[in-house]
Amino acid sequence: MPRKNTATQDKGAGRLRQPAEIQYREQLQALASVDDTDRPENWRLSPASVLTYILGGEKITTTVKGKKKTVEITRKFYGDRSIVERAIVTLASDRALLLVGEPGTGKSWLSEHLAAAISGDSTLTIQGTAGTTEEHLKYSWNVARVIAEGPTADNLIPAPTMIAMQQGRLLRFEESTRCVPDVQDALVSVLSDKAIAIPELPDANMVWAKPGFNIIATANSRDQGVNELSAALKRRFNYIHIPVVADAKTEVQIVKQRATELLQRYALPTKVPPPVIELITTVFREIREGKSKEGVSLKQPSTTLSTAEAIGVTIESALRASYFGGDTVAGEDIARNIVGSIVKEDLNDLAALKEYAKLIAQKRAANNKVWNSFYQGVQQVIRQ
Amino acid sequence: MTALPWDAQAVRQAADTVLAEALYWFPVRHHSPAAARHLAAAIERRKPKVIFIEAPADAQALLPYIVDKKTRPPIAVYSSYRDDDNTLGLAGIASPAAEIPPRFSSWYPMTTYSPEYVALKTAARLGLEVVLMDLPHHALIEPANAAAGQAAEDTTTLNRYPEDQLYQRLAQEAGFRDWDEAWDSLFEFGEYSADLSRFRKELATFCAAARLGSDPARLAADGTLARERFMWRTITNTLKTRKIEAAEAMVVCGGFHLFLDRQDPQPPPGLPAGSTFNAVMPYSFFQISALSGYGAGNRAPRFYQVVWELGANPDPDEWLSRHVVDIIKQARREGEQVSSADAISIAQHARMLASLRGRAHAILDDIEDAVFSCCCKGDPAAEGRYLQRAIDQVNIGKKLGKVTPDAPRLPLVEDFFHQLSVLGLQDTVEQESRITVKLDKRQDTQRHQSVFLHRLRYLQIPFCRLVEGSTDKLASGTLFKEVWHIKWSPEVEPALIENNLYGDTLEAAVFSRLKDRLAGVSKLAGPTCRQLRQAVDMELPAMVEKLELACEQAIAQDERYVSLSTALHELQMLQRHAIYQHQAHEVIDKLIESAFDRACFALPNSANAPEEEQQEVIDALRIVSEALLGTEQLDQALFIHQVQHAAAISEIPFLQGALLGMLAELRVISIEESSQALAGFAQQPAERQLAAGDFLDGMLATCRTSIMLGADHLVNAMQVLLRAVDEESFLIMLPRMRIAFKRLHAAQLDSIAGLVAGYLGLEESKQLTRLETSVKAAALFAQIDKKVAAIMQEWEL
Repeated sequence: MPRKNTATQDKGAGRLRQPAEIQYREQLQALASVDDTDRPENWRLSPASVLTYILGGEKITTTVKGKKKTVEITRKFYGDRSIVERAIVTLASDRALLLVGEPGTGKSWLSEHLAAAISGDSTLTIQGTAGTTEEHLKYSWNVARVIAEGPTADNLIPAPTMIAMQQGRLLRFEESTRCVPDVQDALVSVLSDKAIAIPELPDANMVWAKPGFNIIATANSRDQGVNELSAALKRRFNYIHIPVVADAKTEVQIVKQRATELLQRYALPTKVPPPVIELITTVFREIREGKSKEGVSLKQPSTTLSTAEAIGVTIESALRASYFGGDTVAGEDIARNIVGSIVKEDLNDLAALKEYAKLIAQKRAANNKVWNSFYQGVQQVIRQ
Repeated sequence: MTALPWDAQAVRQAADTVLAEALYWFPVRHHSPAAARHLAAAIERRKPKVIFIEAPADAQALLPYIVDKKTRPPIAVYSSYRDDDNTLGLAGIASPAAEIPPRFSSWYPMTTYSPEYVALKTAARLGLEVVLMDLPHHALIEPANAAAGQAAEDTTTLNRYPEDQLYQRLAQEAGFRDWDEAWDSLFEFGEYSADLSRFRKELATFCAAARLGSDPARLAADGTLARERFMWRTITNTLKTRKIEAAEAMVVCGGFHLFLDRQDPQPPPGLPAGSTFNAVMPYSFFQISALSGYGAGNRAPRFYQVVWELGANPDPDEWLSRHVVDIIKQARREGEQVSSADAISIAQHARMLASLRGRAHAILDDIEDAVFSCCCKGDPAAEGRYLQRAIDQVNIGKKLGKVTPDAPRLPLVEDFFHQLSVLGLQDTVEQESRITVKLDKRQDTQRHQSVFLHRLRYLQIPFCRLVEGSTDKLASGTLFKEVWHIKWSPEVEPALIENNLYGDTLEAAVFSRLKDRLAGVSKLAGPTCRQLRQAVDMELPAMVEKLELACEQAIAQDERYVSLSTALHELQMLQRHAIYQHQAHEVIDKLIESAFDRACFALPNSANAPEEEQQEVIDALRIVSEALLGTEQLDQALFIHQVQHAAAISEIPFLQGALLGMLAELRVISIEESSQALAGFAQQPAERQLAAGDFLDGMLATCRTSIMLGADHLVNAMQVLLRAVDEESFLIMLPRMRIAFKRLHAAQLDSIAGLVAGYLGLEESKQLTRLETSVKAAALFAQIDKKVAAIMQEWEL
């Protein structure tokens, strides 16, 4: 049944998505209010509080507008604790941080939260693409004014790197290895000299980084070979590898939490029952690993079936159920949306889903309603 | 994980009660420098009349050798037990056969900084009495009627420290990754490490928590209670008989045992009858490391050695810097490109991680994480594997221990070391790295070395490995040359001790074992002839004569084709050896002839061998056919006749193919004829066609050289066959056909692929290579190209 138009999509801010420092402002403020330990210059929180913010699990009693309130610090990242510790320490050191891993392992998510907790600003971001130029990294000019007035400091348009340096904040450089090597190498001087030279300005021709400036870059391990970082740049980055979530229980927890958050953001009333979340994580995990929990060997598709993909499929299924179905996501909705995750570049990957449906889902369907709904859904999709 | 069921007050009270006793209990962790340092200070301060140490009581007599100044850890007390009369009923369960008595062994390792070793050394220096109080390991072996059986390995040190699992849980509940991290953070380098009484109190409290959270039923099942009964009885009996007050004694044991039940009315278990042997052995850092699988293993023996050598209150920056530099150096040796700048970053990163983790100083966990952060440019499991290896090597080290020569050795062990010295191989036991030794047996010294190594190899002493043997391949041309890899390890001496039962010298031991083994194989020609060859390699002339007779009898009685062909192979190698040595070989010649004839007659028996034996039959066919090369001594006609007969009666496509392939190889039939047999499958019913892949596989397994003379016939036959079968049948045949062609060499495959290409009209390579032109013609081509381009532009193409 089509639902009523109740989508508010964050009425207050009128934005589809809030940056982490806004969305989790209350938690960040609560942590800051009790944080009295030493911190690197220009950091909003101490390293220990940043760690607590990312890993959660604490309740802080603080005063908000004169009233005492207990704020729960939720878990933002489900990977190994030492990964987060190493990332935080790197950002406090002379070296920059490169989060590397398979697509969908939460690199950007972690990067955003680190920037929000450390600098209070996760928006100083450069999105690396083949079209990214050195100007996107450093600065450009207001051409009209340069023609009229010549190059002056007022006519310069600083790129996020320069702003982060001037304010002593963190710069986020997403998908860094998608940029061509020349552009990547522009970072060498930024990271070694902690300065950007502006030769066009005769007087104030250097912008120096304030303490607190550093870079969090991310790179897909699948893209590493596309534009591999030069040796000079590699040396200036500490790499932290983010692995695919190791255990099924944690993966279910991640999908559940993120799906709930996203459903709230889209103001969807649709429910995703726990057995459906378990089903989707099980399907993704088993096809990704090429083996079912009963030990049956399975075809592996060429795509990375990450946890982020599982979350995406859950949300798409919820949207579909919400607009074209009922109030609850069923296995059938998952089946209809999962095809797009498995079959991306190679049509032959459909064979992996077909095999999975035949060998695994069909057997489980015999005595499980959710699996039965999923199996029937896959059969319909395959026939289409 | 369920929460541990204890309350803090009960834990404190349990610890305080024990620490307040008149008897002075000192809890330790095995291989901990901090525990060792505090323990030494406690002994110095208290100077007790007697010190009870948690170490196997049956090693008491070895104490003088352990503390001897010529003994240098790492060492281990080795204890073995043999149940000669099958008292425990485990013969045939924990041993290979009912008539072989089961043997069990255990190790009790010590390093320079093991608290127990430090206690022994300090006591020796101060003239204090030491009593080892732990139950000997063989008292814990469950008899057959009490358990389904227990493997010999189970009684090693692996299960001696079950309380470690509880410590692990406690550590995780306290927010540490594991017990090692918790120990280093709190006790080794942390806040509890500085002061002796605090160290003792906090460790006792921690262990009290583990003890209160443990399941008594499990403690009974894993032998902990039995050991504690023995320990407590040893303590009370000793104090009573020596009339020593409790306050004048001291107990050194794992903290878990501080809380043993003093009122337990049950007596400790008795020791089962049998032969026991105890010795002090050299040990290695690797064996003491957790990486070796040792249950109470130390995660970084070398690292803690460095810390120990830095003395009391070492500067944390000193060990951090040393360790990081060592890792960087080792990583470079592993091929990693790491610089001094990386070393600085690692040290800085490790300190910052320690600070974030609430530690005053960086510990191993921080250093390892820092190494990966600063130097691993990708996935630690892939790009970081060499770094991990470097870290492991630096953590563990290669140190080997030494035991005083005054310590008693068994005659066989003595003979081993004596021969090492006589043969100039004594350097090999100074290190735990592999040495390659190349021997030419025409030189006397090297021949003796070869005999020595062959004897060790026969006794399965894990000391040497034959890499290239003079007798492994007939056609290798290295009849007198051998290459050995020699590597000493702490397992060598125990292996020698096990063999001491067979003789007091290596020669006596191999003689006696050969005799035993011969009894088991005397009716099998192949293994018996192999024993003969080994007797020659080991220079046992007295045994050679006996074996020649045994071989003759075995060949006469054996009817197994594979066994007889193995005998033929072994004998031919001996014959060749004898010819080159200018030794008499008439007996061998006769044995060869006899083995060949018997093998030929036995061949038809294998024509329908079951699947699991078919590959052996093929190998045997090739051995016998190769035996024919270059000799007129053997009857080729007999072999051909028997192969033809076997081919006629064989109903197994794989063996049919192999036998026909062999006939083609011997030029009895042509490749065309054997290929026709393959093509014949095309006319067969569909289910029979499926066996064509098996036939081809067999054919290519035996027909190696002559196949190239008629490869076109083979290709034609395959074409006929493939046209006749449907797609489904082809897919079933395909895997076996692939296996068949994998048997060919690359050059043979290329040649066949060329033929197939020609057959299908694919001759592109020829067209490409035969393009010949002149400068003039090239200019003409360029003009034509230009004109064509202009026309195409005009036509807007």
